[in-house]
Amino acid sequence: MKVTYNWLKDFVQIKLAPQALAEKLTMAGLEVVSLEEKDGDWVLEIEITSNRPDWLSVAGIAREVAALTNVKCEIRNTKSETNHKSKIPKTKLEIKIEDKKDCPLYTARVIQNVKVAQSPGWMRKRLELVGIRPVNNIVDITNYVLLETGEPLHAFDLDKLAHQDGFEIAVRRARNGEKIMAIDGKERTLDKDILVIADSFRPVAVAGVIGGKDTEVGPGTKNILLEAAKFSPVLIRRGRQKLGISTESSYRFERDVDMESVNFASLRAGQMIQKEAGGGTVLFLSQSKAVPKCRPKPIKLDVQKVKNVLGVEIPVPKIKNILGHLGLKVKTARGSLEVSVPSFRRDLLRDVDLIEEVCRIHGYGLIPVTTPCITPQVFSNGEFDLNFIIRNILIAEGLNEVITHSLINEDLLERCAIGTKGVFLDNPLSKELEMLRPTLIPSFLNVTAHNLNRKLKPVRIFEIAKRFLSPEKEEYVLTISLCAEASWCGINGKQEEKMSLLHLKGVIENLLERLGVGGCDFSPAAHNAFYANAAFALKIGNSQAGIMGQVRQEILNAFDIKNQALFLAEINLGDLYKVINLNRRFMPLPAYPAVTRDISILVGADIGVQELSDCIEQEGQPFIKEVKVADFYAGEHIPKGSRGLTFSCLYQSAERTLQDDEVNGAHQKILENLKNKFGAKLR
Amino acid sequence: MSTSDIASIKTEVAQAISAATGKDELEALRIKYLGRKGLLAEMTQSFATLPAEEKPQFGRAINELKAYLVGLFAEKQKSLESSGKEEKNAFVDIGMPGIAQEIGRMHPLTQVIREICEIFSRLGFLVVEGPEIETEENNFTGLNIPLEHPSRDAFDTFYLKNQKLLLRSHTSPVQIRAMKSRKPPLAIVVPGRVYRPDALDASHSFMFHQIEGFMVDKNIKFSDLKGVLEAFAKSVFGDQIKMRLRPHFFPFTEPSAEVDISCIICKGKGCSVCGRKGWLEVLGSGMIHPNVFKHVGYDPEKYTGFAFGMGVERIAMLKYGINDIRLFYENDLRFLKQF
Repeated sequence: MKVTYNWLKDFVQIKLAPQALAEKLTMAGLEVVSLEEKDGDWVLEIEITSNRPDWLSVAGIAREVAALTNVKCEIRNTKSETNHKSKIPKTKLEIKIEDKKDCPLYTARVIQNVKVAQSPGWMRKRLELVGIRPVNNIVDITNYVLLETGEPLHAFDLDKLAHQDGFEIAVRRARNGEKIMAIDGKERTLDKDILVIADSFRPVAVAGVIGGKDTEVGPGTKNILLEAAKFSPVLIRRGRQKLGISTESSYRFERDVDMESVNFASLRAGQMIQKEAGGGTVLFLSQSKAVPKCRPKPIKLDVQKVKNVLGVEIPVPKIKNILGHLGLKVKTARGSLEVSVPSFRRDLLRDVDLIEEVCRIHGYGLIPVTTPCITPQVFSNGEFDLNFIIRNILIAEGLNEVITHSLINEDLLERCAIGTKGVFLDNPLSKELEMLRPTLIPSFLNVTAHNLNRKLKPVRIFEIAKRFLSPEKEEYVLTISLCAEASWCGINGKQEEKMSLLHLKGVIENLLERLGVGGCDFSPAAHNAFYANAAFALKIGNSQAGIMGQVRQEILNAFDIKNQALFLAEINLGDLYKVINLNRRFMPLPAYPAVTRDISILVGADIGVQELSDCIEQEGQPFIKEVKVADFYAGEHIPKGSRGLTFSCLYQSAERTLQDDEVNGAHQKILENLKNKFGAKLR
Repeated sequence: MSTSDIASIKTEVAQAISAATGKDELEALRIKYLGRKGLLAEMTQSFATLPAEEKPQFGRAINELKAYLVGLFAEKQKSLESSGKEEKNAFVDIGMPGIAQEIGRMHPLTQVIREICEIFSRLGFLVVEGPEIETEENNFTGLNIPLEHPSRDAFDTFYLKNQKLLLRSHTSPVQIRAMKSRKPPLAIVVPGRVYRPDALDASHSFMFHQIEGFMVDKNIKFSDLKGVLEAFAKSVFGDQIKMRLRPHFFPFTEPSAEVDISCIICKGKGCSVCGRKGWLEVLGSGMIHPNVFKHVGYDPEKYTGFAFGMGVERIAMLKYGINDIRLFYENDLRFLKQF
């Protein structure tokens, strides 16, 4: 909403400079977003909050200025109208309101013999300053009065309203499929959710939104019908949303106009037209089926509550003074105040609304700073804290946390060969953002591609975010991916390490170990995005908590990841949270020395390391404490279909120092079993 | 051999050790005095020939001398080693890059969320989270936002297909959830993702993060809100920051206030970051509206409370001087590694 400094002065005496006025308004909730000197006046652009339609007028802002500067202001200075009805013969004009809920008040003023011309310079200048294009004196006056009073007006060319025997103005819902050519030159198709003003045959305006081209006031117009009304805010809102337009009128009607300013605005415009365009009102008809004669009950304001809510005592005379300046009537009644609210302040419904008004004008800056008496919350923050523990472990592993959009294109899932499950939006911004992702995989491929394209390697990333499996099921997952090689200059020169599935396994194992989770089974599984021989299900605790694997090359190609292998895991955190155990128990350090023996064997390449080390551990009881793979080799000197493996075994007793023959015995037993069970050959 | 002889030996050996300049020389001295056929061994042998009454005194003197000499040799040995004249270490070019395990970073938004939640945790607040798919009731009507009212314009919303459900457009629905499932006193902060149909550009995103906070009890006052927010603003932006509250309108608070801090770039003088105003808008706040209390079944005559909400991206952009919101979701490693 734009107003000018001089226009405000029509209503209120202002002693403040424009800059000081702007500052004062801003600090009272009318944020002045720009202040500009133009043509000998100052233009203030003010952001008006949706609860204050009364501020969508010069008069309303002037009232605020008066309250803020503690002066009086004269808003309705036009003398009230003599009753035209008496003068005029029963004219053939009838207002028909189909539903009083849609239109609680409609007035029509017939003005004859106007001379349509350019409006006077001062008016054109003011309109232009606040961003309204001058058209002709009639249209300009309706706009001028709209800005001044906040009540939108519309002028029809009376002679263009089609009629049979007498004029009829109907306020009704449009019929489905009815059309109107609006004054912006666009034809619009209407339906029964849209309120229209119609003559005997057709809609001539979309009520409260935009007028019709056919009945527009133009250079040849002689007689006009001036409309001032109040429409249902919800209906106007729906209508203008459906038509995809917002006008000065609809903006005010959907915030609701002041019932009592309707007649006033019509009268003011009538008088101005008479003065500027020479016409005379011959008829004023006001049709209202629901004028709320009874004013709302006064609001009781307990002075003590003002202090309780604000934390500062504001003297009663000050409270009364503030409310009075805002146009409210205040009566004192036994320790509390009784406040009557005028029709233009229907946003004031209860005591806290009044407390805000008092505080606003008094100044938020004068409220003291206190510390609340708090009851400490001794609970842990639960999953929020666990997520940070997980993040800390992963960044220590060298991974970077990413945050990717939850909204994706279904096509991305197809590119990952993942069947479409997920939650679609009804009103997506674009096809690219049509659904909530059921997995983070596509997002991770995109981030990896972005970084590889910029030669940033390796790409080791993780994210903790929701995945959406159905509208009822959103859950936190942890997604980790590793891609490309790490390289650095080590003590012996260039070192390079390509990421692998085992690197990913190591990250997961470290994570689980630090979280006190017993362990994790990696068992072969099927997943469309992964190579068949490099896809694993992660069993954590008793749940299938996630998947891990190497992404197939054709999928990587689809994301523009060339010549790189990518390894990815996605873990459902709900399953992980259940088994996290951050308690620790001290284990006494061993009192007796350990003995380490290596076993080097040659076995079939199809025999898994896990089976072998399980066998070693089992047969080495009770002294074996740890089995580690120390080395592996294939190729030269190794027969085809075999591989060489070295296990490092640690023997130890809690009771005594082990004797050589005890260790040798155990070791021998292990070797025998490896030979017998797996055909292992000792090297 | 007498005790006076021992005293002179002591002086002689001490002088010889102190004059020694190399390890070999020192070793030769050690052999001469302390070796198997050295002077002390010789003296010990002569012990047998002594009269019985002299033995104890002489024994003590010899032992004392031996301990003294061992100490002297050790000391000299150490000083010769540390003089570094003897051994050479391999040359290290300290200009070569250090070798270390690479450490990853948390996303800057996560870091800001953690920092803010920690500040409020210190003030006694509990962190609570809520779902991103919400009902109209929790997102709008429960918060005193009528469905067909201009006050909803600030909260354009994504709806789900074939559902009355939506993507939360702010973290405030968690207020409703938390108040319904708990009883006052309450002090809660809620971080999380929110969604609005805004096209992506340098300062808008259809997905961003908010932190919501609220406190409900008997006797919670507007001035308490000011105190808590001031503690917050100073913790995040520094002690010199000035804060001001401006009246505003939010459907779920009354009175409502927008909170500005003095511009951290120009210190309030006016610059391009603050639009020459000297102030930066950082959060919205107010006293919880009685209708919100009624909706969750609290008695608005008994309880009062305040609530506030802020955009995490905005805070992070101000704090780190980031000028494009899209950088947060692009996840360029060169960006992530700066925090």
